[in-house]
Amino acid sequence: MSGSGADEKQIHIAVLPLDNMSRTAAPLKEIRQLLLDGLRQQGIAVLNEEILESFMLRHRLRYTGSINMMEAQTLKEETGAEAVLITSLELYDEIYPPKVALMSRLVSTGDNQIILWMDSIGLAGDDSPGILGLGLIKDPQTLLKKALQHLTGSLTGYLSDNREVAIEKGRRKFKPKISYQSPVIASDMKYTIAVIPLFNRSGRKYAGDIMMLHFVKHLRAFKYFNVIEPGIVRQSLLRWRVIMYEGLSLANTDLIFGRLDADLILTGMVMDYQDYHGFSIKPKVVFSTQLIERKSREVVWSSNSNNKGDDGVFFFDWGSVNMTHTMASQMVRSVVEMIAE
Amino acid sequence: MWKNIPDIMNILLSLILISLASCASPDTYYDPNMDFAAVKTVAVMPFANLTNDKQAGERVRDVFTNILLSTGEIYALPPGEVARGFLRAGIADPTAPSAEEIVKLAGITRVDAVFTGVLREYGEIRSGTASGNIISLSLQMIEAQTGKVVWTASSTKGGIRMRDRLFGTGGKPMNDVTEEAVNDILKKLFQ
Repeated sequence: MSGSGADEKQIHIAVLPLDNMSRTAAPLKEIRQLLLDGLRQQGIAVLNEEILESFMLRHRLRYTGSINMMEAQTLKEETGAEAVLITSLELYDEIYPPKVALMSRLVSTGDNQIILWMDSIGLAGDDSPGILGLGLIKDPQTLLKKALQHLTGSLTGYLSDNREVAIEKGRRKFKPKISYQSPVIASDMKYTIAVIPLFNRSGRKYAGDIMMLHFVKHLRAFKYFNVIEPGIVRQSLLRWRVIMYEGLSLANTDLIFGRLDADLILTGMVMDYQDYHGFSIKPKVVFSTQLIERKSREVVWSSNSNNKGDDGVFFFDWGSVNMTHTMASQMVRSVVEMIAE
Repeated sequence: MWKNIPDIMNILLSLILISLASCASPDTYYDPNMDFAAVKTVAVMPFANLTNDKQAGERVRDVFTNILLSTGEIYALPPGEVARGFLRAGIADPTAPSAEEIVKLAGITRVDAVFTGVLREYGEIRSGTASGNIISLSLQMIEAQTGKVVWTASSTKGGIRMRDRLFGTGGKPMNDVTEEAVNDILKKLFQ
């Protein structure tokens, strides 16, 4: 699917409108336009806007956080787009220091929806203040362009050289505080895994979906896991009216296992997912994770993670994490590393 | 003065005996007829929350379930399955199920025992300018076949330490205090 030169046929990518998970009135159209401009500058063939709009109108495509099987197949048949770029805006804050967090993935269209590429970025204007504050970014637009540059560069790297997304190894301080692992999972097998949005008990809207995307991103990085595209999972949950009352029941998991042909289901609960405005407060994330295995119908992994941005920080904010997105990503990475061990 | 030594010794001995007696754990109950080794699978019910924090019960229940699983001794059902069980069993108040309701729940979920709990304190306490986090929790284990209480224990952890008063450090984080309390209670279960 990746092209490796100007002579090879380029894949056409349909860039969906941004899914706004930031809970604020963000300039979504402007951000999307910057993204499109960035992709075109990198030489990526983007589906014509009018064709995409007409498709979305015709098929009443309202939810842009994922794409289901039927939509993906129809998109390919009617527009010729071979992949769709789904981008979620997790955080957009113009109050100084500005903050932005984006998660983006490329999903193939046609009969088989596979996540081809996925990356995310979370930046705060005070991430690297440097000497005398020379590294501070005060302008939200500058920060936004930096974030989009990272994503477009990462996508271009994948499309041109099949380059894997560089992910930082999980830090010790972000490891789960409590964990349980059953010996049932074999380390040499490949598992198909369905990631369910975590049950959200925090005050932050969409926290469950955000955590789900973090898990999808990090699980993909391990060769043991074949991660089912979240759009397919979402479609299944809606179609079979799976209602989570305090979490997934075993009856629900049996249904999901059977219909999606998954070996594992990852679910959990988010108790805290705190973004913040300004300087003084540090982010806080608390969540628990459970992995349910198909054959045994048992929980084979369970963990509880909780961290604040200033954990393990003693001198002049060295090692402090300013973005909830970045901290959650590192925490999830640590969980996934332990699962994969 | 030398004539009073036997009296002083008696008083001292009495004080020592009283102190030793108070070292026993009066907040733990074990049913002597219960075979605790037979308990392999349990359901952890939602905890009764007597605190001001609406989410406190769920937070503590989540920590308890994870620590219980991490011991490797007992398997705790996922909370969604427990919820399905008490909904199907028609349990009106899952924080305080009756014996009949427990038996019915066990038939649906096939557990050996059920844990219920009461969260009495959770959150920050203040004393003058000092503050700290506190938790007070009591748990019960109810045998699933009979609906009988076979074990109870409680724990209170956290509070304001001397260094919190002196240096204004704000106490241990709430999650750490919660884990301490849960570990303390589980020690009383597995001893």
